[in-house]
Amino acid sequence: MAQTIVLTGIARSKGKVKAEAMVNRQRIGWAFNHVGNEDGMVMAPGADTKGKIVTGKIFVYPTTAGSTSGAFSLYYKCKVSNHGPAGLICQEVHWIDISGAIAGEIPAVDKLDQDPITTIKDGDMVEIDAPEVGEKATVTITRT
Amino acid sequence: MKMKLTRYQQEMLDGKHGEAKQFCMDKLMDFGKAVEATEMVDLVLTLNCCPIYVKDRLEPKRLEKLNAYDLGHSPLYDPIFAMKDAHVHDESGTECGNDPYMCQLDKAKEIKGPPNGKPWNFEIPGKGTFKLDEEMVGGFQAGYDKLMEHGWLPWLSCNPYFNTRIPKMGEYAASSESSAACYINTILGARTNRESAVNTVYCAYTGCLPKYGTHLDEFRAAKCIVELTDEVRDNIKGMADWGALGAAIAEKAQNRIMAVLNLPKKMGPGATKNLISCASPGMNDPMMHLMGYTPESPTLEAAFKGKMPKNPERYTVTMEDVVEMYRHLNAIAPAPGPERAKPVDIVFFGCPHATWDEVREVARLVKGKKVKEGVKLWVQTDTPTYFMAQHYGDTKTIEDAGGHIFHQTCIAMSPIRHYPKGTVIATDSFKYVKLGGGFGPKWIYGNPEALVNAAVTGVFTPTARWEYWSKPRKDRLDSERERPLYQGERPMVD
Repeated sequence: MAQTIVLTGIARSKGKVKAEAMVNRQRIGWAFNHVGNEDGMVMAPGADTKGKIVTGKIFVYPTTAGSTSGAFSLYYKCKVSNHGPAGLICQEVHWIDISGAIAGEIPAVDKLDQDPITTIKDGDMVEIDAPEVGEKATVTITRT
Repeated sequence: MKMKLTRYQQEMLDGKHGEAKQFCMDKLMDFGKAVEATEMVDLVLTLNCCPIYVKDRLEPKRLEKLNAYDLGHSPLYDPIFAMKDAHVHDESGTECGNDPYMCQLDKAKEIKGPPNGKPWNFEIPGKGTFKLDEEMVGGFQAGYDKLMEHGWLPWLSCNPYFNTRIPKMGEYAASSESSAACYINTILGARTNRESAVNTVYCAYTGCLPKYGTHLDEFRAAKCIVELTDEVRDNIKGMADWGALGAAIAEKAQNRIMAVLNLPKKMGPGATKNLISCASPGMNDPMMHLMGYTPESPTLEAAFKGKMPKNPERYTVTMEDVVEMYRHLNAIAPAPGPERAKPVDIVFFGCPHATWDEVREVARLVKGKKVKEGVKLWVQTDTPTYFMAQHYGDTKTIEDAGGHIFHQTCIAMSPIRHYPKGTVIATDSFKYVKLGGGFGPKWIYGNPEALVNAAVTGVFTPTARWEYWSKPRKDRLDSERERPLYQGERPMVD
């Protein structure tokens, strides 16, 4: 039987999307050297998701790390090369990733009422509903 | 929360100063909402990346190339380049410029010829060749030309704060170059975030940015203390030591701003730059309080912005921590055999761009020697230093030895993911190892004298100094009792 968990947080970039979750416990950024612009593959040394493809996933991670180019590299993956994630869930969406998510037109949420890193598991089906920046957002986790 | 705008900012938003400024203000207002800003700051400096400007970037073959070459910023410029009234600096007085790019502009024609051992066109014996794509370099030139037309300054360096636009204490900047951001905040006392490289495009054309993050005292305050042992204070000497020390400090502080105590008495420009450029790979907030050096850190109370707890968290950095950072950064194991040497293909200096003292050190070390055939020795620096090095003979020394020196460019901007498989790169740049670490090449992290020796012999060999410091502490101290390595108070082991 499917288990459903609903979390609430704050929208940092707006949007509504439902996709499979990919959880990365380490800080990680979206720069071309962390996640390939040409294939969406995680390359950051030491990352849980190293070697995996983020394309179309809801990516769950604590906050950013590394280059400020994460902002435009995230945008590029989402809008140009089409290898970007479908949405972001963080303990804290860093300012660098906020602007990348807004430009990439994907939802990004943080400040959830439970720690997303431990609550969300790889492969969970997750829906983000983030209608307005700075306002309440919900994250619905479905686990079968 | 409503954003309070000045009259001029409101006029830009209303379109009274042209389509480009209105477009960029709209984007900045969206971001301001997300970070809950209530006003904009007036910028003196914007530092971003030059775009690859091409027509029809979605054409499948071109898109494939762009996916490999474009850091991701170029399409952001397309709508602005299509507007007739786009320009920077004029009313705002904000100086705008770019990080280095993938090729030295006046050498771009060399990609048409056979491999010449320079970063844009080289061969690694037995491993393969690399050459920048002509169309992509042409696109960069077109982007550069367009920016010049719009009033950007052609500094093409990560270090404009040394010599081109030096923000003063309390002024605001928008630097998407992390090492520059940390230097501007820490050493100059001006205020910049490690700015999102999306925002800096819009900052350039408006001269303003929502006030948030490191602009505010709250995000400039120390949250913990990191103290160096006397042994660290007295024994940090090479450029790689400074980078490893910065990295070790950042690691101890766990992504928080720290007040650093017991620093060495003198830090030259290269040392300071290398210490501080740990910011991007090591910590998110680009600010360090270097007690005794930095303008916002005259006392611990000031570094904590008046909010120092009774017992602030304290961490200690030892020489073992610094040595451990070297181990962490060295991605390849020594080759088997008594000499434990590691073969190298590229020896590289200057990320962020080498300061003049760094260039001179390489020249001094390589003087009268020859770089081993097949091995590359590359030094990259900013334009003023490049011409100083030419004028004062450092360039001749490096080139006579078979090395190369460049300006305007940085190999970190090349698609190194497509370098020949198995390439081994040796460098003294913590930042570059972290930038390129996931890309496939193997990395060696070492001090300039070991690196130059590697370029000359073709293999990286640990120095006696490394042998000494990498021993377990007890063995190290025992060895010193048996055979004292220094006289006086400073162990000088080399």
